[in-house]
Amino acid sequence: MINLAQRDIVHSLGKFVTTAFGVGMLIGVVLIMIGVYRGMAHDAMIVPNDIAPDLWVVQKDTLGPFAENSRLHEDLKYALRGFTGVQEVYPLTFQSLQILQGIKPIRVYAMGYEAGGAFTPYRLSEGRAIAIPHREIIVDTKTKFNLGDRLHLGRNTYTVVGRTHKAVSSGGDPMIYLDLDEAQELQFLFSNEQIRNDRVRGGSPSTATVNTFALRLEEGYATWNVAKEIGRWKHQQVYTAQEQEEILTKNLIERSAKQIGMFTVILLIVSSVIISLIIYTMTIGKMKEIAILKLIGASNFTITKMIGQQSLLLGVLAFIGGNLFAHASADYFPKTIILIPTDAMKLFVVVVVVSILASLSGIRTALRIDPASAIGG
Amino acid sequence: MRDPVIKLEGIHKTYGSGESAVSAIKEASCEIYSGETVALLGPSGSGKTTLITMIGCIIEPSGGKLHLNGQLIYEGTWQVKDTRKLRRERIGFIFQSHNLIPFLNVRENVTLVPQMNGVSTAEANAQAQSLLEYLGVGDKMEKFPSELSGGQSQRVAIARSLANNPKIILADEPTAALDAERALSVMQLLRSLAHEQEVAIVVVTHDERMLPLFDRILRVEDGYVREEKPAII
Repeated sequence: MINLAQRDIVHSLGKFVTTAFGVGMLIGVVLIMIGVYRGMAHDAMIVPNDIAPDLWVVQKDTLGPFAENSRLHEDLKYALRGFTGVQEVYPLTFQSLQILQGIKPIRVYAMGYEAGGAFTPYRLSEGRAIAIPHREIIVDTKTKFNLGDRLHLGRNTYTVVGRTHKAVSSGGDPMIYLDLDEAQELQFLFSNEQIRNDRVRGGSPSTATVNTFALRLEEGYATWNVAKEIGRWKHQQVYTAQEQEEILTKNLIERSAKQIGMFTVILLIVSSVIISLIIYTMTIGKMKEIAILKLIGASNFTITKMIGQQSLLLGVLAFIGGNLFAHASADYFPKTIILIPTDAMKLFVVVVVVSILASLSGIRTALRIDPASAIGG
Repeated sequence: MRDPVIKLEGIHKTYGSGESAVSAIKEASCEIYSGETVALLGPSGSGKTTLITMIGCIIEPSGGKLHLNGQLIYEGTWQVKDTRKLRRERIGFIFQSHNLIPFLNVRENVTLVPQMNGVSTAEANAQAQSLLEYLGVGDKMEKFPSELSGGQSQRVAIARSLANNPKIILADEPTAALDAERALSVMQLLRSLAHEQEVAIVVVTHDERMLPLFDRILRVEDGYVREEKPAII
């Protein structure tokens, strides 16, 4: 039996492919939106995963250090090291900075850590770790700084000694890493006038503060037990790695995720409407042919099959085009886009359902066409 | 005595109801036999197309009786379940403009109806080839309608109408889009087809020059159908 849908498509292939490409772009955007959400969840966990602590100690009653501000005295580290089961305590600072790459300002997220030791809270793609905690810096490749480049932060100039690849903050800003003392200096970089003013007022704020302590425990100690002890004696907030992940993925990106979800739903609705309109227009364009087919005896099933197959093929082609478009363009977006096969499969099911639903308006129109309209001029 | 392949008994058709009702065909009764060519003549709006679409089971009459191939098809309501299937299996149609499906090539246009009737592709292709060769367009099998001349297209349309081996062919002004020479050629072809293949061919026409080629003439006027004597050729 002749496949009418296939013959019609082949006969006007250019038009069909162009239409599918247009719908494909829309589907590609839907896929990218889902990828943006996945990217946000992924980015949010890069820094915590690189640090990989068992416990996070942050300021009491805060969701720090990523979701809320947290300030702790640095000397708390000595007390924390005294707790049973605690193997290592790493004081860390975090701050957003705007630096100049040539003449172009770029936002970065700076982590301060006790450099020079074995602890390196990053994965180097080239270069080395900070060996001497004095004006050396690690940057991410996204900053476009190269090894040996010098960059200005505050009143000092730093030399790039190592580079990471795709290390970004939960906001998508590239990471830079520097020694804790230098990071603290940057955080409290007051003007001479303010320092003088503070002295007259009776003191100046301590710069020896950190945003969090990352704790690694000795083997065999239960994280919840150590967390309970620290909370009880030091009156600070302690989160396990799992709890910190929940804070990051739920609290921090939840609103953005909802926003993206809304956009995705709207885009899907727009895509459905556009596919419906295209199928409807394609059917209207074939009214005469459909009338002839009915007149010479083609069954409703034959006509429904023709429109349904075209609609489905349009959806499938558009999905393939959209997928190719999304994969080809993902790396050019400023934020991380993660495209995973399961999302694509779910979207494929949605596209198939949408295509079938979209064909209904065309089928309804086709079935109403009067075969008698084929008679006459 | 032969049985008519088309028999109309008091067929009539009214559009609308009440005060706005319009009677397109008030009364049509006639018998048409296989091998006959019958012209349906009449001015515009006289009801020719309404009559032919009722015979073709495309629109439902408002009353009367319709028999095709000896079977009662309509009496107050359709007497067959699927009129579209009936058209597909028993009637061939030829239109004013050729009305070939533009996205199917000549072979596919001709084999479409037989294939819808369950004939195998190979058998339908073989039949299409012999029909198209008989009609002088055998070399156009793989061409699309847009690549054919008006006369060639109409010959393909005739081949399509014959593809399901019908005993009835209904043609709506099949020569209207053709010049006089080609129109005459197509009408001669239809006449020889009717005689050679024992097909009843009913043709709606305005062209009185073609009338000598018909065996019978039915004139439709003011909703009534009456028979005229044909000119002798």
